Amino acid sequence: MTTRTHAVAASAFAFTLSLAAAPAVAQSRDQIRAVGSSTVFPFTTAVAEAFGKTGKFKTPVVESTGTGGGLKLFCAGVGPGHPDIANASRRIKKSEVDQCAGNGVTTMTELKIGYDGIALASSKKAAPVSLSTVILWKALAKEVPVNGALVANPYRLWSDIDPSLPKVAIEVLGPPPTSGTRDTFNELAMLEGCRKLTEVAGAVPDEKARERVCMTIREDGAYVEAGENDNLIVQKLAANPNAFGIFGYSYLDQNRDTLQSAKMDGVELTAETVAAGKYELARPLYIYVKNAHAGVIPGIREFIGEYTSERALGDDGYLVDKGLIPEPKALRDAARVEAVNLTPLQF
Amino acid sequence: MQLTLLALTLALLTVIGFLIGRSRASSSVGGRVAELHSVPAYHGVYVALWAGLPALLLFVAWTASEGWLVLQLVLSALPERLATGDGQSVALLKADILNLARGIATGREPDPLVMEAARRYTAFRDLADWSLLAVGASLAVAGLAWGSHRIGPDLRARPVVERVVRVALVLCSLVAILTTVGIVLSLLFEALRFFSVVSPLDFLFGTHWSPQMAMRADQVGSSGSFGAIPLFAGTLLITVVAMLVAVPVGLMAAIYMSEYAGRGVRTWLKPALEILAGIPTVVYGFFAALTMAPFVRSVGEALGLDVSSESALAAGIVMGVMIIPFVSSLSDDVINAVPQSLRDGSYGLGATKSETIKQVVLPAALPGIVAAVMLAVSRAIGETMIVTMASGLTANLTANPLQAVTTVTTQIATLLVGDQEFDSPKTLSAFGLGLVLFLVTLCLNMVALRVVRTYREKYD
Amino acid sequence: MTDLVERDVAAVTPSPASSPGPSSAPKSRLRSEAFARRLRARHAAERRFRLAGAAAVALAALILLLLLGSIVAKGASAFWEARIRLEVTLDPAEVADRNYTAALRRALYAQFPQVTDRAGKRVLNDLLSSGAPYELEAMVAKNPALAGTTQTVWVRADDQIDQLVKGAYRRDLPETERGLSDAKVAAADALLASGALAQSFNTTLFTAGDSREPEQAGIGGAIIGSLLTLLVTMALSVPVGIAAAVYLEEFAPKNRWTDLIEVNINNLAAVPSIIFGLLGLAVFLGFFGMPRSAPLVGGLVMALMTLPVIIISARVALKAVPPSIRQAALGIGASPLQTVLHHVLPLAMPGILTGTIIGMARALGETAPLLMIGMVAFIVDIPRGLTDSATVLPVQIYMWADSPERAFTERTSAAILILLGVLILLNGAAVILRKIFERRW
Repeated sequence: MTTRTHAVAASAFAFTLSLAAAPAVAQSRDQIRAVGSSTVFPFTTAVAEAFGKTGKFKTPVVESTGTGGGLKLFCAGVGPGHPDIANASRRIKKSEVDQCAGNGVTTMTELKIGYDGIALASSKKAAPVSLSTVILWKALAKEVPVNGALVANPYRLWSDIDPSLPKVAIEVLGPPPTSGTRDTFNELAMLEGCRKLTEVAGAVPDEKARERVCMTIREDGAYVEAGENDNLIVQKLAANPNAFGIFGYSYLDQNRDTLQSAKMDGVELTAETVAAGKYELARPLYIYVKNAHAGVIPGIREFIGEYTSERALGDDGYLVDKGLIPEPKALRDAARVEAVNLTPLQF
Repeated sequence: MQLTLLALTLALLTVIGFLIGRSRASSSVGGRVAELHSVPAYHGVYVALWAGLPALLLFVAWTASEGWLVLQLVLSALPERLATGDGQSVALLKADILNLARGIATGREPDPLVMEAARRYTAFRDLADWSLLAVGASLAVAGLAWGSHRIGPDLRARPVVERVVRVALVLCSLVAILTTVGIVLSLLFEALRFFSVVSPLDFLFGTHWSPQMAMRADQVGSSGSFGAIPLFAGTLLITVVAMLVAVPVGLMAAIYMSEYAGRGVRTWLKPALEILAGIPTVVYGFFAALTMAPFVRSVGEALGLDVSSESALAAGIVMGVMIIPFVSSLSDDVINAVPQSLRDGSYGLGATKSETIKQVVLPAALPGIVAAVMLAVSRAIGETMIVTMASGLTANLTANPLQAVTTVTTQIATLLVGDQEFDSPKTLSAFGLGLVLFLVTLCLNMVALRVVRTYREKYD
Repeated sequence: MTDLVERDVAAVTPSPASSPGPSSAPKSRLRSEAFARRLRARHAAERRFRLAGAAAVALAALILLLLLGSIVAKGASAFWEARIRLEVTLDPAEVADRNYTAALRRALYAQFPQVTDRAGKRVLNDLLSSGAPYELEAMVAKNPALAGTTQTVWVRADDQIDQLVKGAYRRDLPETERGLSDAKVAAADALLASGALAQSFNTTLFTAGDSREPEQAGIGGAIIGSLLTLLVTMALSVPVGIAAAVYLEEFAPKNRWTDLIEVNINNLAAVPSIIFGLLGLAVFLGFFGMPRSAPLVGGLVMALMTLPVIIISARVALKAVPPSIRQAALGIGASPLQTVLHHVLPLAMPGILTGTIIGMARALGETAPLLMIGMVAFIVDIPRGLTDSATVLPVQIYMWADSPERAFTERTSAAILILLGVLILLNGAAVILRKIFERRW
């Protein structure tokens, strides 16, 4: 017993020590790494997989960290310890470009891969409705003008806003303030709807204050901040016919049998209306490539080539099957040339 | 390859050292083991330590520094043109050399100088590995010889070995301290940046949490208010609900398993319940959001109550279910460890089984049960997924479990993985929340320690 | 006094035969009506208590069954996959060119001679998984002699066809709402009728790495990743945790300093797991320069996270060992270390095991800390070492649960079932170990 216990203890200790002091060597890397937005994640992964199947390079590793976290990692420096590509559901900001430059990431290539439509969907069991940004703003703003003065949003039912709308309580499941989808929704739906209302300008003359009023979403329970899991919102909507949900186009596309999307100012959400710029709630998606890594990390140019190829981004490409809405062909071709040549982004 | 060889050699020499030490110890006193200061096994471990420990330390130090040293050596031999420049280009150059040294094709024709550097790198690494093998092995042999040379009837092997083991034990308990230091440090700097934007007073005592802020510098933000009180209240509410489920159910289950159920039943029931702790939280999240929340809502409406479709109650109940095994399994162990003599004494005085449990067994097992409950509370505080999915992210300041609330950790997770810029107050507030949560739980734990101390002294 | 003891024995054994009737004995204070009432009440309380215990166990077991049942109901179908039978003629020129798509398409068109137009052919192409050519390629790579021959092969169908066969699409809806065109449904039905479309056991699910195409996605990579991560976690947190607990409980002087350590460890258990991820990012990736997404780093972070759970439960278990054991060992001349290693630790083992199992179960099911160190990622290649990029099972589950494709729903549940299977194996091992060690005083 003595012998065995001691031997076991000693060997366990030795193993522990050797593991704890795992060598901290400089890294090499033979695999592309991409980080960033969870919205772009399904598209970049599909490209990564197709790229890996060509057999020339290892399949890239794609992380879903959120746009902000992704750009932070992307901008942290140059070298194998830092990612090569950042996925973004919004354009990179000036402050982030500066941060990048401060860390030595001076040149990067921007590629706009296409659009994501934001659906305002509800269960098939509910009657189809036609909404507008004005109605949406009235339904979701924290304060609305009544008789020329701003008051806390008094609308409880959709029919309070417009008698033609159903007599059900306003309940919208949407993303939290940290999400890029929410930013886009704020900008494209709330701000637009608010600007169309002249009463707001009358009630709040100061432009900055008005913008603040326009983009503040009510917090009395009518707008429910659901998490980032869009499948969950889809299932919650199916269970609750009175609620609306805000989420990406690809989820609507996959659930057309249970969900319907509301018309926005009379326009249906389809790939065509988004690509033609008719549907208002659509946002561009981007990827950013670190130019300094091309040539050191194997396969970066080839990966960009795959991403911009017609087989991926074309009208029948596999990304379209995944729910991406591509740009028109002429713009695509121009973007392809710029991206493959790694034309640096000028900010 | 050489490293594996060295590791094997070290392991072998350690075992040999143990065997030699043990047999030398007994033979040095002609088999009359009683004349030794320490038992032979201790002499064995003594020699094994001499053989293994110095070589192991060398091994660790060497492997930790070798790659870096060799790379510096190779870089210094490169012409100025390549090796100088800012840190960034050097980092890329290093990556290039390493990629080439490992034979990874980068898809372009490499610079012949870099190729040469890569070749030298491989050669140096080879040389260094072989010399490590030689030095390490000879150090181990020398240690073995020295150790076994010292063996004799008067060698105080046991105190030496015990001192080494003791040091190892202390080091292990220091890991926890180091972790804490690391956590505080990794939170502190970002939290300070947050508090330079948002006043700590507003943060700690504000009753309104709404991180709707500007998304771009050229835009006007809407109401960005960072009052953390609703988050802490929400955390408290959900934790209380979860505990109301987990503690009675878990504790009664533990009592039943250890006191009433047959041995066979208990053997299988306990691990079966432990499965509850291992079901991924996504499953609980879906269960809470799609089964429990509508159920709570329809029950509430049948009773004429106004229930939000996302309620703290649903999330709390499901979280309670998830942590049942924390309470039940750990409590079962401590209840089982209460000496039978205490129970026999109680039966001897005429108590029924339940009276014995309530008045003798549970008080005796209390410190362990409190520890189990504290662990369960910790888990409830730390859980994010269930709350995100079932109770939403709306920060209401309410004590009504039928409304939606959110918790501190849910917010931390959402803020950290959001699409916001990393230096915006929205993201930074995650660090502030983390730091405050850390301090709050620290206070709670201090109180809990006091409580346990007070009760424990009775039964020690 | 004797009388009292007899009554107590009766009280403990609640059999009606031995319970004293008020008339059967001379009147004493203890045999009064009031005493009998009290006794009945105590026995009733006893029964209630026991019932409450059984109810608690039953409730927990019921919820467990409910959860497992719903997962099985959702996930069982994922263990089968739809495959299409084709007579493929492998043209040697095409094989040399690694162009297997053409061969597959020819074979498929041969089954539908009436389809000649481009649109119709595109519908047929979409019946096959985009991974089908790679299946053929792997087959030929294994046996190069197949080039030039005609083979009957069963290749994977597209995930939509797979879901149609499993009945996930509602055929009564118009095609725009169904999400699957009538033409495809008709083609799949024709194949079904001729027996060329059938379900077989889904081996892909177990062997393949992740994929964006549900029919090609598997958890092989995630299982390996989980095992590697868990290996590191276990190798570190179990010995370190037990050693720390032993030191704090058996050797450390009781003073302010050790109080601080104790509070600190309890506190660590309540730190949200994502913060451990931040720590790992700063220390292991930033300071030590370890690679991102590596199971080594994941294991280290998980080890730090599970350490408090193991230390706390091990301390509780050590505390529960009666002092008499230690005194006896010390009394016959054992050193403190010998006392602990030979007597206290083996007796505390069952409790330590419980803590270890719960800690490992948590590490096995955790995703949040891995986000920060890059393990929440799309990784196709199956990891081969501790520093390869890898992901773990719960992350795979989490990512599949968030995928838009319908076919991932059942695969999510199937992956959960497999994760639970791993957990049950772990628990099974613990049952055996506990049986060996457990005893009651």
